[in-house]
Amino acid sequence: MQRRLLYSLVILGFFVSLLGWAQDAQAQNVPKNGGDFSNNTQPLTKVPTGVILVKGSWSSASDSVTPVPEGGDVTNNVFRDQYFGMTYALPNDWTEKYKGPPPSDSGRYVLAQIRPADTFKGPARGSILVTADDMFFTTLPAANALELVTYSKDNLQADYRLELSPTATKIGGRPFTFFAYWSPEAELHWYVLATEIRCHAVQFVLTSRDTKLLESLMLDLNKMELPAEANPTGGTGGGDVPVCIKDYASGENVIARVDPVFTEHRFNAVPVRIIIDKEGKVKHIHFLSAFPDQTKAITDAFKQWKFKPYLRDRHPVEVETGIMFGRGPRPATPAAQNVATD
Amino acid sequence: MIKTGKLASVSILTALFLAGMAFAQTDPGVQSGNRGTGATIITSDPNGFLPFFQDGQKRFTDVESVSNSASGNNGLGPRFNSNSCSSCHAQPVEGGTGAAVNPQFAFAGSSVAPKDATPYFITANGPTREARFPFFFNANGTANTSNPNGGVEDLFTVSGRSDAGSCSLPQPSFNAAQQANDIIFRIPTPVFGAGLIENLDDSTLLTNQGNNLNNNFGIAGTFNHNGNDGTISRFGWKAQNKSLHIFAGEAYNVEMGVSNELFTQDRPLPGEDGNGGTGLTGLPSNCLNLTGTGYPEDTSNPTLTPQAAVLDDVSAFANFMRLLAPPPAGGVVLNGQQVSASTIAAGGSLFSAIGCATCHNSTPGTTQVSNFVPALSNAPVNAFSDIEIHHMGTGLADNVSQGGAGGDQFRTAPLWGLGQRIFLLHDGRTTNLNAAIEAHQSHGSEATNVEENFDNLSTGQQQEILDFLRSL
Repeated sequence: MQRRLLYSLVILGFFVSLLGWAQDAQAQNVPKNGGDFSNNTQPLTKVPTGVILVKGSWSSASDSVTPVPEGGDVTNNVFRDQYFGMTYALPNDWTEKYKGPPPSDSGRYVLAQIRPADTFKGPARGSILVTADDMFFTTLPAANALELVTYSKDNLQADYRLELSPTATKIGGRPFTFFAYWSPEAELHWYVLATEIRCHAVQFVLTSRDTKLLESLMLDLNKMELPAEANPTGGTGGGDVPVCIKDYASGENVIARVDPVFTEHRFNAVPVRIIIDKEGKVKHIHFLSAFPDQTKAITDAFKQWKFKPYLRDRHPVEVETGIMFGRGPRPATPAAQNVATD
Repeated sequence: MIKTGKLASVSILTALFLAGMAFAQTDPGVQSGNRGTGATIITSDPNGFLPFFQDGQKRFTDVESVSNSASGNNGLGPRFNSNSCSSCHAQPVEGGTGAAVNPQFAFAGSSVAPKDATPYFITANGPTREARFPFFFNANGTANTSNPNGGVEDLFTVSGRSDAGSCSLPQPSFNAAQQANDIIFRIPTPVFGAGLIENLDDSTLLTNQGNNLNNNFGIAGTFNHNGNDGTISRFGWKAQNKSLHIFAGEAYNVEMGVSNELFTQDRPLPGEDGNGGTGLTGLPSNCLNLTGTGYPEDTSNPTLTPQAAVLDDVSAFANFMRLLAPPPAGGVVLNGQQVSASTIAAGGSLFSAIGCATCHNSTPGTTQVSNFVPALSNAPVNAFSDIEIHHMGTGLADNVSQGGAGGDQFRTAPLWGLGQRIFLLHDGRTTNLNAAIEAHQSHGSEATNVEENFDNLSTGQQQEILDFLRSL
């Protein structure tokens, strides 16, 4: 009896180990682009195909528990982003085939790229692109999501025609701004739905030749779960998440500060978001784009930073803010014409 | 009889299936005639640079020997990918990219590389290539993914050449690298119009980057920077080189083994110099100073005339590339029929509307004032590139970092001259524009949404874009 139990445990252990290997193989095939990265440093027999092992400036975080914007995922056809507090069930027969790029050094994220699955039988195709622009770091002249969309509309390239100026609407019961344009040449329409969450302009960009499809996708978006703060002009955190304040790490707010000592002379912009706890210490660091030596130098420096706690209703609360190290991207000037033909 | 009937049915079904896999739109293919590509940009020449362009053009076609060259072109090796600049940069003329017939295929066993074997990835009509191992190897032959390499592994050696003395070197282990999936390739970049790209001020590029950020495609590129002065670098597949001088000097040393005034030593293979922890100490002494005249092998020539002859080869190459005109756009022939100008124009509009021009800007701006020739001053750079580096995803990543560009980042390839290119993408993996466009989407690519927009066009619209691209 005992031998039979032991034999069963061995068999079970074998299958569990196979499952772990399969998951690792799957993880290698689809590289993560969010959260705290665990780079596989074990030498391999073959270099895996389709895996980015040598990264340049990339995103990372001081821990793998605190949610980050790029940590969202599509699982069982539901897009969830814990950082933004969003849950969105994809339309039937739509899927995420490819994950987006890592965050840019100008604070742009591709949170999800959703398209019809191979089994899709509908008459028209389209795409749903979910992006976020960190309003602390964007070089576009905008202070919030509404201004960002307004800038986009005011600087629409000559390829496009305006269909609808930014207009207030509601998605999932939360305020959004809705802006639409189209390309007569491509016969493609873009419906842009934007709001602001945790000082990020979050945009759902719906694209298709078929406006009926776009309207049905918009209706579908109404089922999305969103945080209470979502607002095109005021998604500034609070409640269960830190309050986000631009440039908090300046002036009298900083009680103690040590500059990072960089071991290599580089020339890239290093945008960093930090969460400061109620005692004024740096609790979490999120590097949007940095080389490993830069993350180490900045992390070591932050251990010695102390802030004046932020008070809300006379009570200290956690604060999220952004600091740009290295060389910052240059702010945008009004768009020039950018057409392929004169 | 029954078995034959079944085989026929299977064959028909297979053919139908494969036909369904083909693209409905057709790549018009490489356009015939060189459209005047390869001419100089010089129109007015107050500073007398035309002789320097012509001299550089001539030297670009010179065939290098190791030593005792009757024409004085010495310094080849001890390792090399080819023996002449124009052998790689040949299509449609010198200054271009790889030709339809790969000259590298004829090297092994000939007087060029008598003792060498042809690497498996070099074929008679395949792309002219260089190879790199993304990672160093462990002692047991497996790749060590904790130890990045990424340097060029020259294909050929001077072993057995009559002008190379007793120097005998092994070729890199390309087959072993293939087994370990630890090999990637690069093809030559064309250099037409390079002087215009070189003369773009950083501010112009940065302003253009800011404008490009205003897009709803999820695209946000960055720049590679020169490690010496921090300014924007712009040449090479990852925009890793700052100037045409450095571009020429590095290529002369790395691709042809000719040490020069910018790169003054003969170059061992990565690892041959102890890099990666190999413990090796460089090239053997009987493979050094093979010209017998000392280092560097390419120098200025103070006593020669005319003036242009005084320059070292690298300076001459730089002048040639700098003063090459950009490739002119031209007509397109598809299936024997001329494509209309209106179709090409429509394709250009579509190219911009669906987002391709967010990275492949028709022009990132105009040049600053040039101290060389007026034609390089205040000139539009219609390169169809923003000169930024972008994340191109797992499908195109080669796991080689260069400067600030990581293993998945590449410079937006300038598309001017695309109509006359045979092999496409950084490694020449395809000759079909459809496949090249398809390759823009993969996990982690900034171009996925734009490629999706291309897929959502009608077949006719996609054809217009292909026609437009082959007009460049």
